[in-house]
Amino acid sequence: MLMKAVEQIFWLGRYLERLDDTARLVIATSHLLMDSHEETQFGWPVLLEVLGQSAPRLLAPYADAHGRLSLADTERAVMALLINEADSPVSILATSAALKRNARSLRPLLPREMWEELNALDLFLRDSCSQTVSRQQRYQLMAEVSRRCQMVIGVLDGTMLRGDAFDLLNMGRHLERADMTTRIMDVMVLQQLQPTQIKRPKFRWISLLNALGGVESYQRFVAAQTRDVDAIDYLLACADFPRSISYCFNRIAASAKQLPHASAIADSLLRVQQQVKSGALSELSTVQLHGLIDELQTGIIDLHHVILSPCFAINAAQQRSA
Amino acid sequence: MTTTRLDDYPLHPASFDELVDSSHQARPTAQAIARFIQQYGADGLVERQQQLDAAIRAMGVNFTVYAEGQNIDRAWPLDLIPRPIALSEWKRTSAGLKQRLQALNLFIDDLYHEQRVLKAGIVPADLVLNSRNFLAPCQGVTPPFGVWAHICGTDLVRDAQGTMLVLEDNLRVPSGVSYMLENRTVMKRVFPELFAESIIVPVDDYPQQLYSMLASLSPRPGDLPCIVLLTPGIYNSAYFEHAYLAQQMGIELVENHDLVVVDDVLYLKTLHGLKRVDVVYRRVDDIFLDPTVFRADSVLGVPGIFRAWANGNLAIANAPGSGVADDKVIYSYVPQLIEYYLGEKPLIDNVETYLCSDPKQREFVLANLDQLVVKPANESGGYGILIGPRASEAERAATAAQILETPRNFIAQPTLQLSVAPTLCDGMLEPRHLDLRPFVLQGRDLYCSTGGLSRVALRRGSLVVNSSQGGGSKDTWIINDEVDVC
Repeated sequence: MLMKAVEQIFWLGRYLERLDDTARLVIATSHLLMDSHEETQFGWPVLLEVLGQSAPRLLAPYADAHGRLSLADTERAVMALLINEADSPVSILATSAALKRNARSLRPLLPREMWEELNALDLFLRDSCSQTVSRQQRYQLMAEVSRRCQMVIGVLDGTMLRGDAFDLLNMGRHLERADMTTRIMDVMVLQQLQPTQIKRPKFRWISLLNALGGVESYQRFVAAQTRDVDAIDYLLACADFPRSISYCFNRIAASAKQLPHASAIADSLLRVQQQVKSGALSELSTVQLHGLIDELQTGIIDLHHVILSPCFAINAAQQRSA
Repeated sequence: MTTTRLDDYPLHPASFDELVDSSHQARPTAQAIARFIQQYGADGLVERQQQLDAAIRAMGVNFTVYAEGQNIDRAWPLDLIPRPIALSEWKRTSAGLKQRLQALNLFIDDLYHEQRVLKAGIVPADLVLNSRNFLAPCQGVTPPFGVWAHICGTDLVRDAQGTMLVLEDNLRVPSGVSYMLENRTVMKRVFPELFAESIIVPVDDYPQQLYSMLASLSPRPGDLPCIVLLTPGIYNSAYFEHAYLAQQMGIELVENHDLVVVDDVLYLKTLHGLKRVDVVYRRVDDIFLDPTVFRADSVLGVPGIFRAWANGNLAIANAPGSGVADDKVIYSYVPQLIEYYLGEKPLIDNVETYLCSDPKQREFVLANLDQLVVKPANESGGYGILIGPRASEAERAATAAQILETPRNFIAQPTLQLSVAPTLCDGMLEPRHLDLRPFVLQGRDLYCSTGGLSRVALRRGSLVVNSSQGGGSKDTWIINDEVDVC
């Protein structure tokens, strides 16, 4: 496999998962909103902040002459930035464009059926996500985005040759999933962050689990536990749930085994896995939880760099020789 | 079997029609297609064309055009009416195409060695030696089997009598074969019933043939060869084809940064370290191939790749320097070259060609500009062509001035009545001009594709079939007429 393709196929996996997860983030927050009382002020800009964006900067163009933005307009603006604004780096449309670009460069590595499925996904997104969608259409559209991403994954699983490319693509998917699950959790945490360090209130996590497709399995998990657990334990540490952080790290470890830098990846994984395992998670306050999520994200960034380190080395060598 | 008539179809007054004869009867090869046309009617055909377009979009078959400084992906245009050719005719044609490529390769090898052909006065020496496609660094190099041009896209046309003629030989980096293959895939998806009615010879062995040909060039016979396809990158107009062929052959698609030359050996940069490369199928022009030998400012080339090739550590297809025979002036000598090298009569004729470098012929060309097509000797893609009868007085005067300034750069041919085929235009079948580009391979063996890419001019009366200039395409059916089909 070409050195250049390492980075591209890894990012293909990340973008594909990011599309799915962005759709799930929108669904989770929309449900949360429906469960809220009318007077509850939902902090829409938080959605941009957890994705690493500066909400004030991104929202400024949407404000009126006095710099004001009503709650309804804020919702519309944030949704536009997450779904159909091509210039917004976190929008589904921008991710889709990046995905298509990568797929084009990688075409010889991809089975024909997967190429066609990716192409169909891109056409669908360009047709359906090109303009603002109402709250009513939003759920349908996001569920469809998520469904189509699953179709690509299904075709991939059924047709792609097992090897470095398949492994790297899956590492990209699971790293992105771990990253996005922590970010989606952070939205919930930040929405409820209190000035005092009271223990976190247990409510509304069901809408999150719902968006991650894990409500039923969560109930089974809880029923089988003797100790006191909640959704945080489940999403962070339940290694059997395919969207938990633990599961994602295990998958990355399994996929990395055949790569030439497997040991460096294993070391980085060990460091970040340690954070999930240490301490009783259900004892954490919201502030501590927010802190833990921050640390996890730092670990995920490190892991990303370690996985791509062979490419960075060769790029640096090329720059020196140029 | 009763023959099918297409009475509503407006026949072209002067051109040979591929599907229908002058009394509106469908030709023997077109019977199934004509029945299909009758059965569906105009509305049905429009609906089927929409399904076909949707399939092309879903499959992501596209090409890139440069417009206003931007690269735009356009869906590949395919007309739903196939273009049939009888297998018996195709056998003669493909034999002629192989004969032609064989002679051209003997010619190129001769030019870079003894130049017997120039000494014998078959081709004027100054025509070759002053050509910018004659690359002096290639002299004395002997590629495997003495073959230089491994992949040739030959453009064929039919004249008003229906005779197949060679219009030009593309020996540099001919493209279009991926569309020939994808056209067939799309047609099978959308018109499965049509394939049940005739015996249509499959086209899909081309990638395997191409792979075998490339493998036969490997300088390390015995080992599994490492073959790569070198592309200028994703912004190239033929990138779709590069990616497609690499995928179909299961080889790496590389850009120059993925390659490095160490001690005259070419290597690929892989995740598991450097890997030796044996054969490069390059889709980068000669002058950009190696900045240390040709254009120093090339950002697409691989430094040292030329020496690796010249020292025999690497095969390059097509070999550097093979473009010397891809020149419309050289083209006019191909019939003589076939006789000189093979001692045979050409199986397919050339289109009559006037060389502006010859004073007498130039005089004739200048006096008959309103009758002739004038072409630059060295361009591709249909650029720079003057179609005399359609041009304005001013355009003809400008071309005349250019001819006088650099006569070597121009040739002229009679304005051909290219053949036509029924093509769906604005919901109606109308005759449109078309040509045919088969692909011929030469390595250890010779191979010719089954049919080729039929390109059709979609504008009424237009003779320009290039997709970059609004041309479309048709699936080309080689119909087995040698077995009795009831």
